[in-house]
Amino acid sequence: MIWAKEETLTRQEMSDLQFNRLKETLNRIYEKVPAYREKMNQAGVACEDIKDLDDLAKLPFTMKQDLRDNYPFGLFTAPKKDLVRIHASSGTTGKPTVVGYTKNDMDLWTECVSRIACMGGASSDDVAQISFGYGMFTGALGLHYGLENIGASVVPASSGNTQKQIMYMEDFEATLLVATPSYALHIGEIAKEMGKKLNIKIGLFGGEGMTEPMREEMYKLFGREMKVTQNYGMSELIGPGVSGECLELCGMHINEDHFIPEIINPDTGEVLAAGEKGELVVTCITKEALPLIRYRTGDITRLFYEPCKCGRTTVRMENLSGRSDDMLIIRGVNVFPSQIEEVLLKIPQIGAHYEILVDRKNHMDTMEISVELADESLLDSYAKLGELEKKIKFDLRTVLGLDAMIKLVGPRSLKRFEGKARRVTDLRK
Amino acid sequence: MIQQLSIFVQNEVGSVAKVTAILKSNNINLRAIASFDTPEFAILRIVVDQPERAKAVLTEGGFAVTVSEAIAVELEDKPGVLHDLLQVIADAGFGVNYIYSIVIRSGKVPLIILNTDNLEGSKSVLKEKGYSVAEQEDVVL
Ligand SMILES: [Zn+2]
Repeated sequence: MIWAKEETLTRQEMSDLQFNRLKETLNRIYEKVPAYREKMNQAGVACEDIKDLDDLAKLPFTMKQDLRDNYPFGLFTAPKKDLVRIHASSGTTGKPTVVGYTKNDMDLWTECVSRIACMGGASSDDVAQISFGYGMFTGALGLHYGLENIGASVVPASSGNTQKQIMYMEDFEATLLVATPSYALHIGEIAKEMGKKLNIKIGLFGGEGMTEPMREEMYKLFGREMKVTQNYGMSELIGPGVSGECLELCGMHINEDHFIPEIINPDTGEVLAAGEKGELVVTCITKEALPLIRYRTGDITRLFYEPCKCGRTTVRMENLSGRSDDMLIIRGVNVFPSQIEEVLLKIPQIGAHYEILVDRKNHMDTMEISVELADESLLDSYAKLGELEKKIKFDLRTVLGLDAMIKLVGPRSLKRFEGKARRVTDLRK
Repeated sequence: MIQQLSIFVQNEVGSVAKVTAILKSNNINLRAIASFDTPEFAILRIVVDQPERAKAVLTEGGFAVTVSEAIAVELEDKPGVLHDLLQVIADAGFGVNYIYSIVIRSGKVPLIILNTDNLEGSKSVLKEKGYSVAEQEDVVL
């Protein structure tokens, strides 16, 4: 089901709507946010210079650092008393980034998430268990409001205590699971170990990217008939609700009547043509409290403007191949952890969890990948285990173009994650 | 033939003790054990009185375990007996993958446990030459 008429506008209707909304928002930001006004003045661009959507490229970028520099409310365009919600993202370094919502922002957030839930096959018949951690993280409450809005029965289980999660899923007959893909896999594994047959028919996954082999693992654990989609967002933009996969599984539809996407060359800042791969930059054109202009997401993707088989006409972004800041540079080679994951998940003799340890020894970068042995029959001989190691190394070298050390470990011995998986440790930093 | 368990153990302090602790708490009697000095991980081979139950409790304890067959041969405590036995297998054209030590059985001769690239073949040539090849019942007692 398509939730909103804005998802099926013609390109022209969409562009007109976007331009009007952009103008209004830009004027408001110029008036109310000294930090961005300063940037525009320095770049020598005025609000009147923005005469069509292509002129968006003239405007300066907003970076994550701008949010930190203006901590907590410096980039807000609404007075604090109009806020009805404040979230913050736990920065691993320095100050967190703070985001806020007015009453209207909450409505628009709920609307955006409702659309994404419908794209993923959700309806008022579903019992939706939310296994994202509640709290300052936007993921859980974002999905919570959107799913309630479409009439689903929401179970705010939060993350952790996996056995109890499984009990709720069984007893409440949950049909829909919201989680990070890595936590969903963990729940599936534990349910299998407990001998429980869950009735999860829809997975709305987010908070981290999901690769195709991970989707395949979901089908194996939860059943082939499951509708497995992922969605995308970030708290700086709104939280979840920026984009989501429809059941055609051909990229994530962006709610572009609220968010204008661009793809840029991350090194030069130059805007790239449709279909080219680069960093996603997003402009919020409807938010009241914290509309960001040309926000650098750090995510690498492509945009497809052709209408989708599902009936929606909104632009689709390719599933993420990696965040530019997740990228590792090992002996001069760019490596995304998702590439490693693709390779590992295609090897049935090892499990779905892994850890990557990057270090530097004698001025040489080293990469060690720990994987869990899943095929007991290889224990017949060291030679069989050795062959497995060789195969993993060979496949990795084919994809990455560099050698990794492989560490085989016992089943279930690697760390499991309830939120975003943190599988990479870089000791060079 | 007897049943042996091959267990994947990481090269960490206490990893073999974790295996023996599980066996002990489940009252499973260990008859033979072999492990080799390897840098990363090891395949620990054990012979126990209840192989299937041992596999179940070890798997539950988080270990990768497989049960397979091995040949157990009675050997008198005399110089040269192991050589004679290995010569029989070599003459038959079979390769020995690994050998490990002795199953302790009260009042009986010790057993040597062998894995070769042809288990059935090795067993029959040994029998032909008059060796006594043990079955699982013989290690339980
Ligand atoms: Zn679609």
